[in-house]
Amino acid sequence: MIRFEHVTYTYPEAASPALNDLSLELPEGQLILVVGPSGAGKSTLLRCLNGLVPHFSGGMLRGAVRVGELDPVRATPRVLSRRVGFVFQDPEAQFVTEIVEDEIAFALENAAMAPQEMRVRVEETLDLLDLAPLRDRPIKTLSGGERQRVAIAAALALRPSILALDEPTSQLDPKSAEDVLNSLVRLNHDLGLTIILVEHRLERVLPYVDSILYLPDHGEPALFDDVRSIMGRVELAPPLVRLGKALGWRPLPLTIKEGLRFSRPWLAERNGTFLPRTQTGQAPAHRGAPFIRARGIRVRFGQQEALRGVDFDLWPGEIVVLMGRNGAGKTTLLRSLVGLVRPQAGVIHVAGQNIAGQDVAAICRKVGYLPQDPNTLLFAESVQEELKITLRNHQMKVEEERITALLQRLNLSHKADAYPRDLSVGERQRVALAAISVTEPGALLLDEPTRGLDYAAKHELERMLRKWRNEGMAILVVTHDVELAAAIADRVILMSQGEMIAQGSPASVLATSPLFAPQIARLFPETGWLTVEDVLGANGRCQD
Amino acid sequence: MDISVKGALVQNGMQAASYPPRSIHSMAWMAWIAAIVVIATLTRNPFYLGLMIAIAAFVRWRWTTQLALPQVALLSPLRFSLLVVASAALFNMAMVHTGSNVLFVLPSWIPLLGGAWTLEALVYGALNGVALVSLFLGFSVLNHATSVRSLLRLIPRAFYPAAVVTSIAVSFIPTTLQQIEQIREAQAVRGHRLRGVRSWLPLTIPLLEGGVERALQLAEAMTARGFASGAPVQKRWSQWLVLAGFVGVVVGWLLQIIWRQQEIGIALLVLGTLLVLAGLWRAGRRHPHTVYRAERWQLHDWLVVLGAGVAVVAYLLPWFERETLFYYPYPTLTWPLFDWRIGLATLGLLAPALS
Amino acid sequence: MTRALRLATYSLTSLVGLAAFLYPFWLPEVTQNADGTLAHAHDSALMVTLLVGLCFVVLLLEVQQDAVGAKMIALLGVLVAINATLRFIETAIPGPGGFSPIFLLIVLGGYVFGGGFGFLLGALTLLVSALVTGGVGPWLPYQMFAAGWVGLTAPLCRPIAAFLDRVTTPRVSRALHHSLRTELWTLALFAAYWGLLYGAIMNLWFWPFAVGPAQMHWTPGVGAWETVQRYLVFYVVTSLAWDLARAGGNLLLVAVAGTALLRILRRFQRRFTFVYAPTIYQEGASQESASREGKAEIAWTSQ
Repeated sequence: MIRFEHVTYTYPEAASPALNDLSLELPEGQLILVVGPSGAGKSTLLRCLNGLVPHFSGGMLRGAVRVGELDPVRATPRVLSRRVGFVFQDPEAQFVTEIVEDEIAFALENAAMAPQEMRVRVEETLDLLDLAPLRDRPIKTLSGGERQRVAIAAALALRPSILALDEPTSQLDPKSAEDVLNSLVRLNHDLGLTIILVEHRLERVLPYVDSILYLPDHGEPALFDDVRSIMGRVELAPPLVRLGKALGWRPLPLTIKEGLRFSRPWLAERNGTFLPRTQTGQAPAHRGAPFIRARGIRVRFGQQEALRGVDFDLWPGEIVVLMGRNGAGKTTLLRSLVGLVRPQAGVIHVAGQNIAGQDVAAICRKVGYLPQDPNTLLFAESVQEELKITLRNHQMKVEEERITALLQRLNLSHKADAYPRDLSVGERQRVALAAISVTEPGALLLDEPTRGLDYAAKHELERMLRKWRNEGMAILVVTHDVELAAAIADRVILMSQGEMIAQGSPASVLATSPLFAPQIARLFPETGWLTVEDVLGANGRCQD
Repeated sequence: MDISVKGALVQNGMQAASYPPRSIHSMAWMAWIAAIVVIATLTRNPFYLGLMIAIAAFVRWRWTTQLALPQVALLSPLRFSLLVVASAALFNMAMVHTGSNVLFVLPSWIPLLGGAWTLEALVYGALNGVALVSLFLGFSVLNHATSVRSLLRLIPRAFYPAAVVTSIAVSFIPTTLQQIEQIREAQAVRGHRLRGVRSWLPLTIPLLEGGVERALQLAEAMTARGFASGAPVQKRWSQWLVLAGFVGVVVGWLLQIIWRQQEIGIALLVLGTLLVLAGLWRAGRRHPHTVYRAERWQLHDWLVVLGAGVAVVAYLLPWFERETLFYYPYPTLTWPLFDWRIGLATLGLLAPALS
Repeated sequence: MTRALRLATYSLTSLVGLAAFLYPFWLPEVTQNADGTLAHAHDSALMVTLLVGLCFVVLLLEVQQDAVGAKMIALLGVLVAINATLRFIETAIPGPGGFSPIFLLIVLGGYVFGGGFGFLLGALTLLVSALVTGGVGPWLPYQMFAAGWVGLTAPLCRPIAAFLDRVTTPRVSRALHHSLRTELWTLALFAAYWGLLYGAIMNLWFWPFAVGPAQMHWTPGVGAWETVQRYLVFYVVTSLAWDLARAGGNLLLVAVAGTALLRILRRFQRRFTFVYAPTIYQEGASQESASREGKAEIAWTSQ
């Protein structure tokens, strides 16, 4: 039983409290999801459970927190670590040792457990998370999903009764995320472990969640209730749930299976009156010459062929989404278009010029490339400075108006002097976008731009990309996120094993694919609908 | 005489090279390398050194072939050794100008190099090089035979925080390398070119900032798992003990060599060492933690330690003819002497290769 | 008490360590026998090595006090990783002479977080890079000790910079701007100085190997000063150029990257190393206690 009584917490040197008069009670044994807009204090709340707030972060805490009978304020994190396990977001920054086994044993070594007992405990923990085949592996050789499972195992070594996870899948691709969430569900079902999870990708996890804790922005009280009630009341929700709310389906469907029970009869009622897919802005016919033209690209890494003779065109004023399994060659193609990877064969023309003789810096004057981790781009003291640095790098004139205009377009005017690394994930990405587009390139290439973003930030990104597209920018996005593709793509390309296996409009490519179909497409097969707006537009109702 | 013995051993070794040697406890390896360091520091007798090099080379050969490791050195060990010996010989010949077999003479107004270049100096320099080579060989065996993990376990408990730092650093190196690559690309993508010293700044700053952010998250993860390195302790008896022991050792040594007080000197030395060990033990108790999967000490490890111990004892204690150890070609080049008993004791270093 | 202990440890180990490193100069003279030969001549090299090792152990034990808490340990770990990686790069892309990028972080780390932190950063950088490249060798303990010394003495720059600042400020109108510069240049010169000194120390290790133990080039009647002179000549001929490259490199690195890196380290220090215990109070408490540097105060009322 976890209790918060009128808890107010302020980080040191912060202007306003992170948690404001929070009171709630969380029962044991449930899988609890914590949702809310970014900045609402979800991470802070989790950290109150095991004493990281306030022992690690300092600051001022008012009110009472109780985890079972322990008080995280009086007890140290060391004592609480036996009661509450914690898993963090970054699979790269949680490990102290090299080998999986040693990592699990680290907590036990610190607790001075007898070696015999340690052996048994480590074996049990390995089995809990199915990590026995990986026990001797160096952690650096594991995938993101495997690493997070190791992190969970390491947190469970001391047999806590509560497991708190702060966005454990936000840095992972969908397959790994699924593995991790399945492990969590198993732990909850088989062991009765109380799991408190902060997560943005609700689609995968909603069916298994018992209750949701909703932390709204400041000023409103927190809500704790079962899944369907909360989902019925809040804005941010997966497409399926949003559709269910809009069409009044009760009880609110959480899985495709439940949704089909509603969608089939609904569709049958409207038999014959399908409206074609509505899309905010039809894909314009390809005008003029392609901005990027690639022919016969062959890339080989050692023994492995990453790209086998790929042809690709990118026209101005369109958004192309590149999808495929891990290792299909999508990122390699993207990188070869800017010169980060030089192909063994093939020709690439950007804005009419062959890029073979140019270096990356020169190419990127005309093509903006957003890397997966925008943190690697940022190093200036202020947001404005970032933009100026790019301009100086390209030896272009530093025009203040250009900078202000770009910041305004990206909704960053109020943060023009902020230290970039202090900003939220979404804002940092926008700063990085600004930094690479200040040269006014003709094309934008984005590598997994929605990793780590919540729904609000994603919508913001979609809006900006559409606006750019309408102004004539050529945009190429590599992503695993099918909902993103459904929302913005004019053209979708599927890749596998270094070749393009499907190409066409989103409806034709995505709707029937078992791996890549968005939720709406699964609900309404053979209609060509991909988003909530499609469905509602077809129904004659106006929705945003 | 000893050459034939050596040859026979090498033969035997080749026949026995069909199955891999058992893994040896890191502590035993420490004893082995300590013996090599002691011997290489003490003696310049070419017979003893040569014997040791042969033994070390043999052990190395056994361990590298069994572990099937590729030879990644830029220079093969043989060529590297020859280079070291040659340069050391050259150095000494150029610096020291005593000896009776003069090879040639440079005018003495040249600083440092002027004077007689003698054969004795050449030989002595070569011997220095040979001692260095034996050290290199010994350490190269150590590098091949132990892993970072096992070496880290050797660090005594008193230094647990330092051991944790080392462990973290080792596990973070792949991430850092990856980060560097990513940062390089990210900066290239915004027009950055490596021109001049200032252009390294956009690469190092994100690296450090990213590192600091990761360090914070790692600290959180460690705290969440119960890591408590402890607040500074008020009464630092262990440190006083260690300091006192240290002073004891130093004073004892000085007494021994400067003022010739053998008994008091050695007594102080021993006392000092004991105090230091006591202090370390006490300091270790402040970090209560156990070790998962400690390496098992087997019979074979006893053999290795025993062999190393026998070798060291023969070289340190004045039971055998210790004078043979200290061979100097000056002022005239003479044939070095050899005590077969010391040579025999050196064979104790072969223990890791026999299994 | 703790300060006395720290002072005693630092001074004793530095003194003994220094004397041990310089043994070729003074040892022959003081161990002279009546007949002109040297007593214990042969064992002294071994003893000195052991003594240096002991110095290191004693100093390390004391210095660990600066690495208390998960934050410091994690920060050290990550910085050591970055520094060790820079060292690989140094060996992979050889710069001129003895240029080594590792001293930049060691000096700055020691300057911001204290001598203990700097010592650990220096020593462990060398250790980790040796461990990971499989290059553990007999020179490693000396390298660790010397690099550790660089970090250990870095906080000396603080009073020097402050003093220089006070001396020069009245003459300059834009005091603030200048004070930052003073700090930077003090650090840069410090790093350059250590660039040379590090080379000299490592050379001391190598010298006996190159020219044989003391008795070979020491003749009765030749005093310590003579030996020093001979060493200096040896040094100039063999490694001065190398070390000048290192010193110059250090100067350049600190001058160019110092400000930015200092800012990052200080930001961390300001935000994350100040509180050992927070200010907390229960509902209805009437007073708060200060949550400032190092004070472990927890105020609460019983519920």
